[in-house]
Amino acid sequence: MAAVATTSKQKPQSTWTLAWRRFRKHKAAMVSLGVVIALILIAIFAPWIAPYSPTAQPTGENLADYYFLGPTREHWLGTDELGRDVLSRIIYGARISLLVGFVAAFAAALLGTTLGVIAGYFSGRPLRFYVGPFAKAAGGWRPWPFALWRVVSWVLFYGLLYLAADLAWKLSGANAQALFSGTFNLNNLLSLIGLVLAWGVLLLMAGWGLFGQGKIDLDVIISRFMDFMLTIPELPLLLVLSALLRDTQGVVGQWADEVFGESASVFIIITIIVLFGWIGTGRLIRGAVLSLREQDFTTAAQALGAGEARIMFRHLVPNALAPLIVNATLAIGGAILTEAALSFLGFGIQPPVATWGNMLTNAQEYIFTAPWLALAPGFMIFLTVLAFNYLGDGLRDALDPRSRL
Amino acid sequence: MFTYTIRRLLQMIPLLFAASIVIFTLLALQPGDPLDELRQQNPRITAEQLEQLRRAYGLDQPIYVRYFKWLGRALQGDFGQSRTYASPAGQIIFGQRLPRTLVLSGAALILALLVAIPAGIFSAVRQYSWSDYVITFLSFVGFSMPIFFLGILLLFLFAVWIPERVPWFPKFPVQSVSDFQWVQVLRGEITFFQFIWDWAFKLVLPVLALSTIQMAAWTRYMRASLLEVLNQDYVRTARAKGLSERVVLYKHALRNALIPIVTLVGLAIPGVFGGAVITETIFSYPGMGRAIFDALIDKDYNVAMAALAFLALLTAVFNLIADLVYAVVDPRIRYS
Repeated sequence: MAAVATTSKQKPQSTWTLAWRRFRKHKAAMVSLGVVIALILIAIFAPWIAPYSPTAQPTGENLADYYFLGPTREHWLGTDELGRDVLSRIIYGARISLLVGFVAAFAAALLGTTLGVIAGYFSGRPLRFYVGPFAKAAGGWRPWPFALWRVVSWVLFYGLLYLAADLAWKLSGANAQALFSGTFNLNNLLSLIGLVLAWGVLLLMAGWGLFGQGKIDLDVIISRFMDFMLTIPELPLLLVLSALLRDTQGVVGQWADEVFGESASVFIIITIIVLFGWIGTGRLIRGAVLSLREQDFTTAAQALGAGEARIMFRHLVPNALAPLIVNATLAIGGAILTEAALSFLGFGIQPPVATWGNMLTNAQEYIFTAPWLALAPGFMIFLTVLAFNYLGDGLRDALDPRSRL
Repeated sequence: MFTYTIRRLLQMIPLLFAASIVIFTLLALQPGDPLDELRQQNPRITAEQLEQLRRAYGLDQPIYVRYFKWLGRALQGDFGQSRTYASPAGQIIFGQRLPRTLVLSGAALILALLVAIPAGIFSAVRQYSWSDYVITFLSFVGFSMPIFFLGILLLFLFAVWIPERVPWFPKFPVQSVSDFQWVQVLRGEITFFQFIWDWAFKLVLPVLALSTIQMAAWTRYMRASLLEVLNQDYVRTARAKGLSERVVLYKHALRNALIPIVTLVGLAIPGVFGGAVITETIFSYPGMGRAIFDALIDKDYNVAMAALAFLALLTAVFNLIADLVYAVVDPRIRYS
């Protein structure tokens, strides 16, 4: 009996309890956790904490008296070039920064995990991608999602062929017609040859499409796409994309404007950060899955008849969770930094919405006359990013099963 | 190794092709066309004239036709005309702007390496010491520091605040381009030393701002890499043989610890060029990053396209170089 009593006294310790015990030893990470929680609270309760509205401008006479005030009792951090209270703008700016950071990092992690696990799990195992209507394929209609895709792929394939044929005609049709109506020159002749060649190839492809089958290695596609994304210069492309998507004449800009109103640019910025942000997670998860899928527990799951989606998301992803969490935490800081950089350059979140980045843009102009305007937003960006970096570092140590208590 | 290099070079072609298509399309789709400005400057311009100009710029053609025309000319070294500078875009980017960015980014990279490697070694050798904590903390501060805030801070401190209070302190310039030109040295108007000194003085702040992030990141990597190597069996063997700590550290451990750093530095170089956009904007430094920024604002897309295509090429080339150098410095890596 005594033996039983002593064993029951010892509490079972889960991975997470152990991780928390390790995490608590990392002093900087604990402080950072406090900073992050404080920032989240400030962001949530901004309307109650902020002494003024972030966009309120002074009214009445002698307006100039309210501009560029240094820190005073009424305005703890002073006022800016329009007499707006800097402290209130900082508090409201926390909302934008944290929103962008968390949403962008979470969405990027989700996208990166999905694509990474698909690439890793199906690597070296080409999947049926296209099976023509008359192809003799065993089990060509199973499972049902594939049967559905099979039909859809015919439509896509022949639709694409039609578009290509149409494009060839638009490019060279006029010249070829001119040739038949008597204008004989090299340009027209080349156009005709090109047209005949293009249509010939398309006809062959259409014939193949009836009986052919195609297989495709998803890993090759996804990995090549990641390589391609890494070739594109990130920061300049973010500027280009931001200008393109924020345009209120464009489809995306118009839609975002209708749905999100004043904060449409917030949505756009999150989208473009995710567009470039998932690649790191994708590579990480792909690498982890490539080794995890060879381990015994995966074979066991396969032998027990678990479906592919179940193996991927219930067996493989949870085993890669530790680096994923660390990566996502660091990504929050990265996203906040990117947003601030874009807003600082004027390609991010647009005034009147106050963000730390666009506050700094305005402050830069007055750096010689009112330097305190730059200090507050800059310091907040720095502090937030530092906190997330330390948090990631603490989590890395805590979640590493090799590190001791 | 040779076949591997050739294969990688061939793989680069479709990659760059795809990248240039994407960049070109995104630039072509940018809101407002270059004629908008003309319309504002000259309200009396007729629709006919606009149509003529549109045809002259090739804007009446569909995007894919424009792309292939651009590609054909770009492969021959013609990147089109810049509207804002009224001279060839290729000459602006590669003749004027690129050398300046090379100087800035090169100096920043060298400074980062010169600080990061010794700091990382020092920190790893004295792990958990007081100085290790200071270096680790500083590197965290360094790569959490937004480059635009650091730039503003440096400007404020060294161009305004300290010179106002300390009379003998040199007032660092706000504009960071030298007034002196190389031709003046050739003509004998100024000495070579004056020329270099003027440039160096004006480059101090931007180089500091640009190098901080890499400096901090590489310090951490250097420390981690060396710590890992120091725990290896062959280091213990070397110590057991009775080799001096100096030989163990610099001959056995450091060489192996530097291998991953080589790759990191290779991969970071294109990022430093791209990241120079912010630094050059803050310090009014007329380099390539500033040119990209201005071109996007002025809708001078030939200039933007030339610079962005160059950056894509640079990234692809340095990815390859990083992989190849990795194989050279680490004989365990074999490419087949």
